[in-house]
Amino acid sequence: MSTAFAADRRDVTRSARSSRLTGWSGRSLIGLVLAGATLFFVIPLLWLLIAVTKTEHELAVRSPFALGSWDTFKANVQQLFEFQSGAVVGWVGNSALYAFAALVITLVISIPAGYALALTEFRFRRLLMVTTLVVMLMPNTALVLPVFLEMNQVGLVGHALAVILPFSFYPFGVYLTYIYFSTSIPRSLLAAARLDGCSEVQVFTRIALPLATPVVALVAFFSFVQNWNNYFLPFVMLPSSDSYPMQVGLSTLLSATPAFNPSSAGSGSVHLPALALATIVSMLPVLILFLFSQRFLVAGMTAGGLKE
Amino acid sequence: MNRIQPRRLVRQIGFLGVAGAAVVAALAGCSSSKSSSSNGAYGFPEAEQRKDSAIIVWVDSTRVPAVKAFQEANPSIKVKTVTYDGSSNGSNSFKTKMALYDRAGKGWPDVVFSSQNNDASWATRGTAGGQAFAARLDKGLIPSDTLSGFTPGALNPCTVDDKVYCLRNDLSQTVLWYNDTLLKQFGYSLPTTWEDYQALGEKVAKEHPGYIVGSAGDTFTPEVLMWSSKCQANDVTGPKAVTVNTDSAECKRMAALIDKLVADKGMTPLSVFTPEFVKEYTGKVLMMPGPAWYAGAIFNNPESLNVPKGQMGVAAPLPWKGEDAVAGNVGGGTWFLSSHSANLAAAAKFLEYVTTADAYQVDEAPGYPAYASAAAKWVSKQEQSGYFTTDLSALTAAAGKVWDGWGYPSYSQEAIWAKTMTPLLTSGKSIEDNLGAWGTAIKDQAQVAGYKVND
Amino acid sequence: MIELTTVRSAGSETPSRPAAGGGREEQARMSNSRGTRQTARSRSIGPLFITPYVVFTLAFGVIPGLYAVYLAITDAQGGFAPTANFARVIDDFRFFSAARHVAAFVVIWLVALVVLVVLLAIVVHAIRVRWLSSTARLFFYIPGALAGASSVMLWLFVLDPVASPVGPLLRALGFDSFPSVIQPSHLPLIFAIIAFWTGAGGWIVVMYGALNNISTEIMEAARIDGASPVQIALHIQLPLLRKWIAYMAVLSLAAGTQLFVEPSLLSQASNGVVPNDYSLNQLAYQYAFDLNDFNGSAAISVLLLVVALLLSAVFVAKGGLFETEDA
Repeated sequence: MSTAFAADRRDVTRSARSSRLTGWSGRSLIGLVLAGATLFFVIPLLWLLIAVTKTEHELAVRSPFALGSWDTFKANVQQLFEFQSGAVVGWVGNSALYAFAALVITLVISIPAGYALALTEFRFRRLLMVTTLVVMLMPNTALVLPVFLEMNQVGLVGHALAVILPFSFYPFGVYLTYIYFSTSIPRSLLAAARLDGCSEVQVFTRIALPLATPVVALVAFFSFVQNWNNYFLPFVMLPSSDSYPMQVGLSTLLSATPAFNPSSAGSGSVHLPALALATIVSMLPVLILFLFSQRFLVAGMTAGGLKE
Repeated sequence: MNRIQPRRLVRQIGFLGVAGAAVVAALAGCSSSKSSSSNGAYGFPEAEQRKDSAIIVWVDSTRVPAVKAFQEANPSIKVKTVTYDGSSNGSNSFKTKMALYDRAGKGWPDVVFSSQNNDASWATRGTAGGQAFAARLDKGLIPSDTLSGFTPGALNPCTVDDKVYCLRNDLSQTVLWYNDTLLKQFGYSLPTTWEDYQALGEKVAKEHPGYIVGSAGDTFTPEVLMWSSKCQANDVTGPKAVTVNTDSAECKRMAALIDKLVADKGMTPLSVFTPEFVKEYTGKVLMMPGPAWYAGAIFNNPESLNVPKGQMGVAAPLPWKGEDAVAGNVGGGTWFLSSHSANLAAAAKFLEYVTTADAYQVDEAPGYPAYASAAAKWVSKQEQSGYFTTDLSALTAAAGKVWDGWGYPSYSQEAIWAKTMTPLLTSGKSIEDNLGAWGTAIKDQAQVAGYKVND
Repeated sequence: MIELTTVRSAGSETPSRPAAGGGREEQARMSNSRGTRQTARSRSIGPLFITPYVVFTLAFGVIPGLYAVYLAITDAQGGFAPTANFARVIDDFRFFSAARHVAAFVVIWLVALVVLVVLLAIVVHAIRVRWLSSTARLFFYIPGALAGASSVMLWLFVLDPVASPVGPLLRALGFDSFPSVIQPSHLPLIFAIIAFWTGAGGWIVVMYGALNNISTEIMEAARIDGASPVQIALHIQLPLLRKWIAYMAVLSLAAGTQLFVEPSLLSQASNGVVPNDYSLNQLAYQYAFDLNDFNGSAAISVLLLVVALLLSAVFVAKGGLFETEDA
């Protein structure tokens, strides 16, 4: 059977130039797997999108994929954005601030660090790598209190920096950069640059960094997503509700939803479709960023990068 | 890793360890307990008072109108509002944040609203030898006639060792809700005892299948049914002592009632907040024992059962034959004053206002006020809406009848019931047979939380 | 840029890797033999570049970690108590069931992740049409943008046979209500499904990129030799992905032992029917913030760390992980 199959294959591949799969049986298998996987990932999201057009009652009694009305959608939008006088907008803004600020600091720290780990020599290099690995495995719960106490010692609790600085510590990003630099930049290139008279800083900025665009995009993207979705650190560090990021704000929203918190039944209560809308709002920036950085992400992987 | 020179690495690790230990020691130093100074006039060590400092108030989003009402009535007092999740849904945020501030030694707000009613169990005890968060209120901070103006029993969750540490915001006493229209339509009369209720439930299941007389699938089911049956599952006898006796006759009789009615399908094992409940039982709820806030959350709510105007009535909680009726209680928030506050006068004034003032409790509060005179006015306001066919005197009567044998420990009875008993209900098993398992679960949780379980 | 990557990629995946990996000394010798006086690794700029990261590592990694260990071996008053906390948490009536829950979850989760992610990555990689391939990757990734509190409501409905978009499937499996779906015996599988739904997309993107790394010449050669797609996948692509799979396994193992988000989600959605101390990490959280016992919490965290380290070491060794590194 395999030889007959192989014979078929050879006939087909003679005309095929790419290394991609061809042949109808192959295609249908791929199609089936793909369709199944897509359904698995997409159906709950489709439901979520439709849910924002319905009322809470309709969510319970109507078919899951039945569309609601435009008016209901507008009412839900209004309910969400009226909650605590438009707190949602503030939350999104705060999330963006923390995530972007942390992103910038992360890049400034991690890219040179990865470069140093990969292509330079200094005394504690190996220790640092082992430490980085161990730190990545530590449970988050254990780190909360000490970080809180540290921030308290320097008087930063309640300030945005109390969130941004811990966010900027991103060992996965450093590891990623390290692997990229150690596998994709030939040392001969750097040596040649030095021969040409470049100083060390110039070697980094003029040679290594331009070649590192993929991994920079990668680290930026994953760092942003991780910080955007982080709940616990901002919860601990920020007492004041107008500095809440989106994830912490969502928990306030959740507590104002009678379905989850019966004692909140009242005039200011939020209903499930508005909660669904808040969920979508919290996802959008990440999605936009993903679409935008798809190119870099894939190219970055090609050169041996790694996700956290 | 093959090329690591072990000795060098070990030396480096050692160096790191020593340096790290030094910093850790410094950190450890800053979490040590504060030295306790002597008690002030109000019964606790006071922070330095600054008369005009702003007070920081933590509320959930439903209580924001309370702060606004206070600010309108007292424009000279500066108030900074922080909204948080009200410690609801098991988040424990109030406890978590105060623990962090205790460790840091600063940062506490002046006033906190908690939607839970068991916070006095931990807020009255200092952590790691430090000062307790809750300020004592009955030694002058709140006038004693204000304190006695609360419905009897309303301040029980706030009282530890006969001292009052918080003010109750609202009550959630359980009553018997019923659909008068349906009752008359089927020709039944309102039951006057639990035994009658059970008989009626069996009758309804036979004669009108699909209609229910109650629900047992919520996490607060023990507070509605077991509490009002005087089941000794949660008898808090001291700050850290509890008696758990789930095999008593009182517990057994209610468990048997639940088992029989659920088996006959006269009572649903679904939670009233699920889509299934709304789908199956809209228009089919004959009666429902439940807390006061069922009115706005379930019956008069277009997102839930949406019972039309003029059908619902309220009756007093049921007794068992030959006994006095007692009510259970599901919730009711509490207001705390911080013992670390730098402006005790303003904070106390705030506390008093939001729990007693008509401008909030009567005009805007969604729940039955804990303060008796505000409650009476709130009830007449609800009656004026014309939604109910009966007056709401049953609510007022039940408010004073909440049984005091069910306490407010630091662990959650609802969570224990939800994870131990609700799965049994939904899979058709017997509650009565598993009362022992319930008792064991409560005792285990109590011991982990540091309670001594009395034998 | 493109030329560099293809040149590199051909070399980076072959078994002999002295040029790519640890042959620093060789390289140094090589460049020295070219007549330069500098070693291939410069000594001067390293400390400067690494210092900010070192500061952050100390501040947010090392010191908190050491503090956690310190808490685990002391009591609430600061006195030395090396085993008391560990004894107390292991004695907790929830400890072993939490450990069993985590173990069950990790087994299902790892197997599903490794097998299905690799399978899906290979399938996506095999798509010829470009826009289809990137759309598929987008769809797989979107759930990952939905984290934490947002999804409480989503899963409350998706797991409810009455209102769920996959209601027919749930009802066909015999479940007619939300409580029947979230029975304790189903939970490890449900959590694995939720975790997979949110986490697989990112890993598929990673594996996809790793597959891109495999030179097309090797694939063509195999095809010309008559290998079927399955054989190519099994004998060429998989072995070359070995290190990536090992990386994915290690990091997912760490994430799995720290199971927290999914049970918390369902605990909120079910109003407590799924307990909030289902996993060991949740138990640690409860110890810290419910019982105010930071020492006990640290003890649980240290135990989790040790287990994660041990298991990771296994994967590291079997996956040949550190062969790629210039450690």
